[in-house]
Amino acid sequence: MSGVIDIGFVELFAASALMLVAGIVSWRLSLGQEKNIAISTVRAFVQLLAMGFILIYLFQYQSWWLVLIVLLIMTLCATQIAVSRVKQSVKGLWLPTFASLLLSAITIAFIVVEGVIQPDPWYSARQLIPIAGMALGNAMSATAVATDRLFADMDSRSNEMFTLIALGATPREAAYPSIKAAVGAGILPTLATMCAAGIVQIPGMMSGQILAGANPVIAAKYQIVVLLMMSAATTIAIVVICFLTFRKRFSKEGYYLDVGIRS
Amino acid sequence: MSLFEVKDLSISYDAQADAEHPSPWLNGISFTLDAGCIYDLTGPSGAGKSMLLRACARMMDIKQGHLLLNGKGSLEFGFQEWRRQVCLVPQHASLVPGTIRDNLLLPWTLKVNRDKAQPTDQELKHLLEAASLDVALDHDAARLSGGQAARVALLRTFATKPPVLLLDEVDAALDDDSAHAVGILTMSMVEQGSTCLRIRHRPPDGRASGIFRLADGKLELLKGAERRLA
Repeated sequence: MSGVIDIGFVELFAASALMLVAGIVSWRLSLGQEKNIAISTVRAFVQLLAMGFILIYLFQYQSWWLVLIVLLIMTLCATQIAVSRVKQSVKGLWLPTFASLLLSAITIAFIVVEGVIQPDPWYSARQLIPIAGMALGNAMSATAVATDRLFADMDSRSNEMFTLIALGATPREAAYPSIKAAVGAGILPTLATMCAAGIVQIPGMMSGQILAGANPVIAAKYQIVVLLMMSAATTIAIVVICFLTFRKRFSKEGYYLDVGIRS
Repeated sequence: MSLFEVKDLSISYDAQADAEHPSPWLNGISFTLDAGCIYDLTGPSGAGKSMLLRACARMMDIKQGHLLLNGKGSLEFGFQEWRRQVCLVPQHASLVPGTIRDNLLLPWTLKVNRDKAQPTDQELKHLLEAASLDVALDHDAARLSGGQAARVALLRTFATKPPVLLLDEVDAALDDDSAHAVGILTMSMVEQGSTCLRIRHRPPDGRASGIFRLADGKLELLKGAERRLA
């Protein structure tokens, strides 16, 4: 760990003064976000430090089941956050979101760690937890965006879908253009990140490794693998979530439950 | 035997109903539609006319009752197959992005019509002419006027030749000439052996063989089918 400059706890708390900028802006513009800003700051502090301590513990006493439990808890939290970000009111999103995150982020993270990085032991927390975390974080945001877009788009196309259903379309045929729009909207941010990577910003993981004193080329290789992984995980997550959930707005007879006839 | 029969149909929905806005309900509705005839469905607004058409197309939860097409119960059909045969054209039928041809051929992109031959350009042109639509098949559908778009949406359904046509105020957006053209086209459809139930708010055009009135959840036949085709 040569070259890592530790940050003292005093300096760390002093740095939280930076959040005052956001707080003052919110107060002057009456955005009403002061409480949110305070909560977010405290959460970031507590959660990241807790994760740090948990990782120290994990590295020391790591066993395969402990690592898997941590991954499961991370997925559960990601599900909760993704579902709470969806502004459209749709019931029963929890299970499909959990399934899509597990199937995409966790699976892809395992493939990358075991296939590309090949740590010893295979459940090495030092590689699995951060990589799975990055895949999860991206998939989580994309899932929320895609779900929101899917249901908003279906509502805006309710007349068109009514026409299609009346012509004998299945729910899937009627919803298909919305699914396409939602998948597109979900993939876009990841692709934009990939295009800007290295030119505009050094992505978080690479920055971290460089700050920690790693060889920048090795850091770049890791970052490339991670970016590819994130785009795969994101794509799988949103395709799965769209196909698992679009039917929630259709009746069992296969017609669209428009705003007026939703229970 | 009638082409289309509704027996003792009851529907209600109360998703967002409250004391001030009770949901429309229909109770024990029965009627028959014969091949070769047009029927008008009249009644005060809010009586549930559109809902009745939706129920006939099985686009509504039916509490009780039977729908029969050619004596065959609706449960013997899949939902999509039923809707292909008992086809509802909504008041605000929308067109999809693309040309007029894309729109007219839209039904043939669906699984339910997969093994059916799609009409040729020649047949589509005949349809456009019959509805006095003077536009090319390659015309962008987004550039049609409201009345033209309404007719294209109607022709799209006519092109699939469903045995039962349910028209929900399709001539509401049309000027008198276009409405007249739609009437003629509807007549030519039923003359090929279909039947048609239409909701209209225009003065009677003399094409209807029977007029139903829906009020207070009850349906009555005001005028019988005298004008029946041999």
